[in-house]
Amino acid sequence: MKDSFDKVEFDRLAGEFRFVITDMICRAGSGHLGGALSLVEVMISLYWRVMNLDPNNPKWDDRDRLVLSKGHAGPVNYVSLAYRGYFPKTMLKTLNENGTYLPSHMDRLRTPGVDMTAGSLGQGLSAACGMALAAKLDGKKHKVFCIIGDGESNEGQIWEAAMFGGHKKLDNLIAICDYNKLQIDGFTNDVLTLEPLADKWRAFNWEVMEMDGHDWDNIYETLNRAKAVTGKPVMILAHTIKSKGHCVTENRPESHNIKVDDQAAWDRNMQALDQKDYVLPY
Amino acid sequence: MSEQLHDLEMRAVYARTLIELANENPNIICMEADLSKASGTNPAFLTAHPDRFINAGVAEADMICIAGGMAVEGKIPFCASFTPFATRRVYDQVTISVAYANTNVKIVGTAPGITAGPNGGTHMCFQDMAIMRAMPNMIVLSPCDTYELRECIKWMAAHEGPVYVQLSRMKQPAVFDESYRFNPDKAVKVREGKDVTLVTTGYMTQFAVKAANELAAEGITVDLLHYPSVKPFDTATLIESAKKTGKVVTVENQSIIGGLGGAVCETLSENHPTPVKRLGIPDKFGEVATEDYLFGKHGFGVEHIKKACR
Repeated sequence: MKDSFDKVEFDRLAGEFRFVITDMICRAGSGHLGGALSLVEVMISLYWRVMNLDPNNPKWDDRDRLVLSKGHAGPVNYVSLAYRGYFPKTMLKTLNENGTYLPSHMDRLRTPGVDMTAGSLGQGLSAACGMALAAKLDGKKHKVFCIIGDGESNEGQIWEAAMFGGHKKLDNLIAICDYNKLQIDGFTNDVLTLEPLADKWRAFNWEVMEMDGHDWDNIYETLNRAKAVTGKPVMILAHTIKSKGHCVTENRPESHNIKVDDQAAWDRNMQALDQKDYVLPY
Repeated sequence: MSEQLHDLEMRAVYARTLIELANENPNIICMEADLSKASGTNPAFLTAHPDRFINAGVAEADMICIAGGMAVEGKIPFCASFTPFATRRVYDQVTISVAYANTNVKIVGTAPGITAGPNGGTHMCFQDMAIMRAMPNMIVLSPCDTYELRECIKWMAAHEGPVYVQLSRMKQPAVFDESYRFNPDKAVKVREGKDVTLVTTGYMTQFAVKAANELAAEGITVDLLHYPSVKPFDTATLIESAKKTGKVVTVENQSIIGGLGGAVCETLSENHPTPVKRLGIPDKFGEVATEDYLFGKHGFGVEHIKKACR
């Protein structure tokens, strides 16, 4: 699939992802919709075009790793894993059910293909540093990808990891910040401003890139450029729109976690999608 | 006469054991957060295995989660810092990236309890045993001398899963000898007696032994149980001893809430209700002071142990 990019096909896949993610969250009764929908194109690009993976062998030693440090975006990762064949798509409907393999936040012990547990914000980038450092000690060539949130970047530990990654020159580490400019309580510029964000990461000795997190070509080109960087880790600021494609909540703070109390609310949320002519895979 | 293990500082034995393990296992990693000289790993481990000595700087939260990531990749990181910074400061990081994720990370809390001496109240952590014991998947150890420490560190490296160990850094008198073998599921009966059960762990065991010896001269025999592992906790040995003596005293270099005394009371109240006297820090903070002053102020030195046992 890596070499055969078809924009129409990928647009359709992204639409289907948004449809399935929204349905999964509605089915569960609540969930983190906005931060999952903002990552759809980035996640598809990683799983279909950029990362070296073997869905039949989730623990393959030479695979690229992914830490979803903003662990609340679990559903977008679960859809990616299911559609890549890590587990049956029918499992997607079990999000947050009692005894599920698909909890709201990432759990490496429960979900096939999940490399690290995450959900308590700020910890995943440190873990990714550890994974990258371990790979260097072992002379391995794979990359470690880590997705953090912009709200998550309020955590002091993100900047501890930033210092460490820069100090250790972890050029096998590629971090992506889902910069959708929103966090639970409002716009990041109102709650606790991150700007100048690119300058901050540069000051911590990271190579900084920026991309439109919804533009296939821009994402692909940027990630490949990031893979070629040597001598320092890479931070990609992915400019995204929270809850993209869901007109009721798009770019609104309420998108962070939606409550779906009844069938009418479920229907309203499905109707809010740009594209709604999909069939659920379960 | 050749050097004996108990002639060494505890931290020197920690470093030496870690180096020996690292010589045999390329996955052993020594992690520090700018306290490597205090932990004894610098220069010893740093010189022996510079590539596997990782200093996270004064960033304990980062250190713990880096260790979690390394463990996922098959490494066996030993992370050391003063007990407050190895536990309470990073409680969420240890909970999520180590215990909940069940990563093979070893945490070494140095200078436990009153052994933090001149650093005073900010550095005197009396809760590390309680908070680590309350964490699922976490094993909690507190060796009393160099022989036991060496065995504990070896066991930690071989055991797959999270472990916390208290490490008092200085020289400690020998309670055991070269023949000692560690078993996390068994308390060690240091003295056999019938009048009172004295339960102890880690740094306080040397004082409990002294108290037991002096009580013997008074005609009081002590069933002295030393617990190198507070979790898992050997309930059978305690219950058996309590049935024999009908009276239990606990002593620890910790708050009397939630640590060894807590474990003893939980066990006995559910299995064989027995009067228990807990000695340790009675829900107070630490302060800059000598050991004798703190023993006297909080009532858990040798004389207090003897009084409680009479």
